Amino acid sequence: MLTRRYFMRASAIAVAGMGAAPSWLVRAAAPGESTRNKILIAIFQRGAADGLNVVVPHFEKRYYELRPTIAIPAPGKNNGAIDLDGRFALHPSLQPLKPLWDSGQLGIVHACGSPDGNRSHFEAQDSMESGTPGRTTEDGWLNRALPPLTAETSSVRAVAIGAKMPRTMRGDRGAIAVSDLQQFRVRNDAATSILESMYAKADAPLMAAQGKRTFDALKTIESINRTPYTPAVGAQYFGEFGTGLRQIARLIKAGVGVEAAFAEIGGWDHHSNENGQLPPLLTQFGNSLAAFARDMGDRMEDIVLVTMSEFGRTAAEDGNNGTDHGHGNVMFVLGGPVRGGRMFGHWPGLESEQLFERRDLAVTTDFRSVLGELVHQHLGQKTEQVFPGFSIGEPLGVLKT
Amino acid sequence: MTRLLGIALVAGAISVPAYSADRFDQKLTPDKQILHTINRLTFGARPGDLGEVRRLGVEKWIDLQLHPERIPENPELAARLKQLTTLQLATWQILEKYQQAPLMIRPVQPLAGLTSLQVCKLMQGGTVDERRSVIDSLSSDRRQQFLAFGPTQALDGLADIQQEAAAARQADQQARQAEFRRLMPPLMDLLTSEQIRVARNGTDAEKLALFDSLDAEKRQKVIRSLGPQMLVNLPNLRRESMVVGQPQVYVNSELVDNKLFRALYSNHQLEEVLVDFWMNHFNVFNGKGQERVLLTSFERDAIRPNVLGHFRDLLLATARHPAMLFYLDNWQSQVQRDDIRPPAGSFNGTPLNRPGLNENYGREILELHTLGVDGGYTQQDVIAVARAFTGWTVYDLQRYAEFQFNPATHDRKEKIVLGHTLPPGRGEQDGLEVIDILARHPSTAKFISKKLAQRFVADAPPASLVDRMAATFTKTDGDIRAVLQTMFSSPEFLSEGAWRAKLKSPLEMAVSAVRALNADVTDTFALSQRIADLGQPLYGKVEPTGYPTTGEAWASSAGLIGRIDFATALSGGGIPGIRVDMSRFNFKAPAAVASDLLGAAPTPATLTAIEKGIQEKEATPSMLATLVISSPDFQSR
Repeated sequence: MLTRRYFMRASAIAVAGMGAAPSWLVRAAAPGESTRNKILIAIFQRGAADGLNVVVPHFEKRYYELRPTIAIPAPGKNNGAIDLDGRFALHPSLQPLKPLWDSGQLGIVHACGSPDGNRSHFEAQDSMESGTPGRTTEDGWLNRALPPLTAETSSVRAVAIGAKMPRTMRGDRGAIAVSDLQQFRVRNDAATSILESMYAKADAPLMAAQGKRTFDALKTIESINRTPYTPAVGAQYFGEFGTGLRQIARLIKAGVGVEAAFAEIGGWDHHSNENGQLPPLLTQFGNSLAAFARDMGDRMEDIVLVTMSEFGRTAAEDGNNGTDHGHGNVMFVLGGPVRGGRMFGHWPGLESEQLFERRDLAVTTDFRSVLGELVHQHLGQKTEQVFPGFSIGEPLGVLKT
Repeated sequence: MTRLLGIALVAGAISVPAYSADRFDQKLTPDKQILHTINRLTFGARPGDLGEVRRLGVEKWIDLQLHPERIPENPELAARLKQLTTLQLATWQILEKYQQAPLMIRPVQPLAGLTSLQVCKLMQGGTVDERRSVIDSLSSDRRQQFLAFGPTQALDGLADIQQEAAAARQADQQARQAEFRRLMPPLMDLLTSEQIRVARNGTDAEKLALFDSLDAEKRQKVIRSLGPQMLVNLPNLRRESMVVGQPQVYVNSELVDNKLFRALYSNHQLEEVLVDFWMNHFNVFNGKGQERVLLTSFERDAIRPNVLGHFRDLLLATARHPAMLFYLDNWQSQVQRDDIRPPAGSFNGTPLNRPGLNENYGREILELHTLGVDGGYTQQDVIAVARAFTGWTVYDLQRYAEFQFNPATHDRKEKIVLGHTLPPGRGEQDGLEVIDILARHPSTAKFISKKLAQRFVADAPPASLVDRMAATFTKTDGDIRAVLQTMFSSPEFLSEGAWRAKLKSPLEMAVSAVRALNADVTDTFALSQRIADLGQPLYGKVEPTGYPTTGEAWASSAGLIGRIDFATALSGGGIPGIRVDMSRFNFKAPAAVASDLLGAAPTPATLTAIEKGIQEKEATPSMLATLVISSPDFQSR
């Protein structure tokens, strides 16, 4: 059997054959060196997931009054939620996440979100992805969370899954977008080398800014693609979201210097027929996250994965067995460094006067408090630089100290 | 400054540092004006287009594009559209003809044969013995069906019956799989192994001969089983396969064909650009429910007739269209009435709730269609607008899908929308008045003008231009043609600040490359998949925002790699349905090929890289075309 190190060495030589190998890759391939570094992964659930049905406050009588049709039955009932701590419970479709909660890898923050009460998908996503609600910032928080580029930085240090560069990852710290590793190639070697020099000197800024990193990444990914990828036994990725996480897992396991990654899963805007739409989506979501953790194995010790969605949904159901745009929501934090198996944050309650604008779950934890702790403690970056103007205060303690 | 404008300006500053705002008062040279105008009003220059604009003059040519009815249409387009059979059908006709054949093989009624008392005992906690005796009273067929599909809680505490139920479920699943295989047989059940080889890997002629040798029923099953991807070189069979296998996907694929053929061949280029712009502004996602069928009429009847008309008419046409009513849930939104009993039936064991208000459309018409997110509305306005549109619904979505106003579900109470009071009891008039209020609101004039200027001028258009366009919008009661005239005749439009300042979207990039090569396109199926791979599946944007109109989202490494790969495939004749003739580049120098494809001299960086990098023997026409189409120069318009 080939060892990973052997593979790295072989592929670095292969890369060297087609041009200069990036120095970090040569280093990575040198015997006796470790390439394990800390990794932060952000998952965005676009469309405003209904946090109250994802992590169910089953101890709240009011929850069942507000949602006579679409409430998730309490644990123990038919199709009931999966109890976590006697107060909160996972949606039944999130069963695959329960073992991660039990083993202490999964922590949950409820009633969190952005302080601005905007209910526009676009604005709220922009605000959460930039990490600067209420002010204009040109780059994304996960890009700012990385150290500045040096000659040694990996060309795949920050990878977003998808054809478009998400706002979260935009910025000058070197991020690339990859839809599919297998397709991240050009079937035209002669043209590629000419275009590499063309883009290196281009003055037209739009695509050119991407040029150098793209061609470097092309070589790295080409070397990874030489070996077929088999996820760890039992890691079953689901759907398009799972395919994305599988790409991230593959890059991380190749040991090519990934520091941050981003993937998204859309389709959460359930204004109607929510209980028809939520289960398949959560099945994809939960199974894929569980598959990722399994696939990573003990690499999870270096990984923190955090999920978010632009806002929550109305506490009460609407007129079509769905929910409208709301406010507070739930975040999952997954990984070896997580002090899991417990709920974080302060539960504001669901009585009318406890709701935000008397309709939505209130936000008691700013999403930047969660992300700030990860950025500071896991990546070792200064929170103020990533979330300017925001004071994190006492950390929630989501991560082990 | 508004927040949205702020973001756009900053983003513009990152992506186009070379072009500062003051360059919007530097006029383009006459040659550049010609190319620039074509790049903005069309899907890219074809050979001969520059000469045509030069002959007519920029101003005259723009005026013609603003009046497409005065431009004779290209016969090449009609020849290609002729084969598309659903474009002219009414929605009810499409629904009738292109129903997805149900795969539900046998109806399942687990509770059939039971009295209501028995059902109660089974469902609501009868004792173990009571439940056992009810189940034992069933005939063997009914018993099998109940065990396979009945509620599992009815079997609590009946371990032996639970085992029997597991076996019943498995037996049923196997029966279904066998039935499915009979209805949708795999190739190995239909053809010999030699025939399968031909069907998969034979030449086109061999495949045709094989299909012709089969009887009609078998031929259809084989074609369906092969699927569209395997038949991508044989467009007629590819279509046939989709019609049989995925009829509604097929209907939408004709709309994609229509869009791409028009973008590629229509002489009414500005009109096609505007159809694309407004379809994106009023985005509807083809993957939701029956949207694939509704979109044909949405584009043809609601968008296309109004793209150069009055904004109010466009807005109203979209508000009343079943595609929009369904996409943003308004068709279900109703006044909450306590005197109406909740609907019968249940979902996952819980009863359906009393229908009521749905805010989805009320919010998006304000935020995305008219005022813009900073246009000055509140949550109360969202609710009031949603209430005003209650009763705007769809008549028989499954069979007719036509607009209907239903007074019974309309909220008759007074509403206050953006300070305007809508008196109680006026029915459909409420929604019409909201359309008027929104179409005439100053924020709408500004929001629409800004978005048009972003499409046609620059990601961060000068505020003074947007203000003048908004003034025209207000003065002409939202006459889109007049707003465009103001923009096209502005100094900013033909300025250095706008020159090549826009990054092409995947659609614009792909279509402009095909046009520049003057390629012959007989089928757009593979081309549309390429555009989807580049991140822009046509009619496939899930969110109501539509695709980004500014460049920064499209500028990604995946995008760059994808564009190079596309250029390679296109120039090498590797995209099915597209025939490229490179002979006009034979024996041409790189500079000449680049100037031909770009419509202007390449930038020094591009030309130098090609001239220095290319080996003599590699400098084929298709290699040169690949390099030019992949170059930074070609990515902007």
